[in-house]
Amino acid sequence: MNRRDFLRYLSMGAAAGLTLPLEQVLAAAAVPGNTGANGRVVVVGGGMAGAAVAKYLRLWGGTGVKVTLVEPNAIYYSNIFSNKVLTGDTTLAKLAYNYTALKKNYGIEVKTTSVTAIDPTSKQVKLADGGTLPYEHLVLAPGITFDALSVSGTIGNKAKIVHAWQAGPQTVSLQAQVKAMTNKDTFILTIPPKPYRCPPGPYERACVVADYLTRVKKGGKVIVLDANNGILAEPNNFGKAFTSIHKNITYVPNAILNSIDADTGTVNTAVGSFKGKVINAIPAQRAASIITQSGLGLANDTTGKWAGVDLLSYESTAVAKIHVIGDSHASGQPKAGHIANAEAKVCADAIVRAMRGESPNPNPRTNSACYTPITKTTASWLSVAFKYDPALKTMVPAGAGVVESATINKDNYEEMNKWFSNLMSDTFA
Amino acid sequence: MMKIPDMVAKVLLTAVVALPAVAFANPATLNHPGRTLAANCFQCHGTDGYGMESLAGESAAEIVEEMLEMKWDTANKDIMNVHAQAYTDEEVALIADYFSKQ
Repeated sequence: MNRRDFLRYLSMGAAAGLTLPLEQVLAAAAVPGNTGANGRVVVVGGGMAGAAVAKYLRLWGGTGVKVTLVEPNAIYYSNIFSNKVLTGDTTLAKLAYNYTALKKNYGIEVKTTSVTAIDPTSKQVKLADGGTLPYEHLVLAPGITFDALSVSGTIGNKAKIVHAWQAGPQTVSLQAQVKAMTNKDTFILTIPPKPYRCPPGPYERACVVADYLTRVKKGGKVIVLDANNGILAEPNNFGKAFTSIHKNITYVPNAILNSIDADTGTVNTAVGSFKGKVINAIPAQRAASIITQSGLGLANDTTGKWAGVDLLSYESTAVAKIHVIGDSHASGQPKAGHIANAEAKVCADAIVRAMRGESPNPNPRTNSACYTPITKTTASWLSVAFKYDPALKTMVPAGAGVVESATINKDNYEEMNKWFSNLMSDTFA
Repeated sequence: MMKIPDMVAKVLLTAVVALPAVAFANPATLNHPGRTLAANCFQCHGTDGYGMESLAGESAAEIVEEMLEMKWDTANKDIMNVHAQAYTDEEVALIADYFSKQ
């Protein structure tokens, strides 16, 4: 699928997010007056973390906190629920959010461009459109980038090997490939070594594709090639799903990916070679290039792939006044949209306090919750609340720890839809 | 052709479904000590508790009672039990007070 086809596909639905006159009426009421916090914040990246931090800086900081959000795309396509696009249960257009509500409700300035350089001495960022933006605090929420895969084959066949791990054109491509499968075909999913974005996500994808093949194609198989030594998230629920709900799934641990032959549909791993009609390879991941290529040493965790931060404020441990939230920072917290929203709130609160000359909250709390469809009508969930451990200087599970749902059922599926709706409103509206 | 009342109903229905939660500046809770704790509830219950599983304006006593019930029911592994068990009684009281003042 080329770009024009993609745009045509999107225009079939309402690609834009929500713009209601009522919002304008309410807008003036959303941002409090001057709270004693004054200064400029530039937020880079308009995903779950970036949108939420922009909103909460204004909602909690008031009119004295000037916020500019820099994001190259006018529309954000939700990664959450994008597995449902693959099975035709939803469309990418229904997962489209724009920045209109953030502009109108909270007075956030939005620049549809990207950042080309950061100067932490003069405290300004350079933009691809030629402009510069000064800041007192810079928040980087750029997400992830993918390592290259070793793929051989013709250009046309290589183009079919997609990750679809960032909702967009690749999601549409993979959906078309799944739709073209027959009851004799095999879908191969490769899972990268941890940490990667959305720990339960690949297992969820295996389930919904297997469910679709059984329901719609009356046959077809899924092979899960996991580079890790076992199911990383919800081992009980996915273990049950792989053995008793979706018997057409074969799960293979320790299958570290070596190479893919796109012409023959062969995936070569540490534990053998596998053949399939559709190959969905999710590459290993690291923080986006603005973190790893900034020249500022921001990717300073032990692996050199993620940004080390002070978890009281998400300020970089390498460069003052630069904060890193969401998937690109290093901590024991999962890389996922729900918790990125929580990290954004901790960061926004810390910046507002700093602007008032106050210390950050010594007891920041975050939480992760993720509902995952297992079939077209049932779902499970995974949840954990984190608290700050001052001795370890890290976020640790509080209370019951990491818990997965005891059952896979329809009630969870209904709760999942409410969760998604509220989460997206809390982030983008 | 659609009758006008049907059209109005359709437009209204669309508006209700599409209406996102819009937060209001609330002086009563602007610098509330429970704000960042309560913010952990917003993802599922809406900004400041205005959402599909609304908490805004509930009585503090009621929220505390429900949260502590879920906190001490450790045999129950429902999603709210997991969250209730993550907070001290004092933190639960702050969260409840925050939502009661919306």
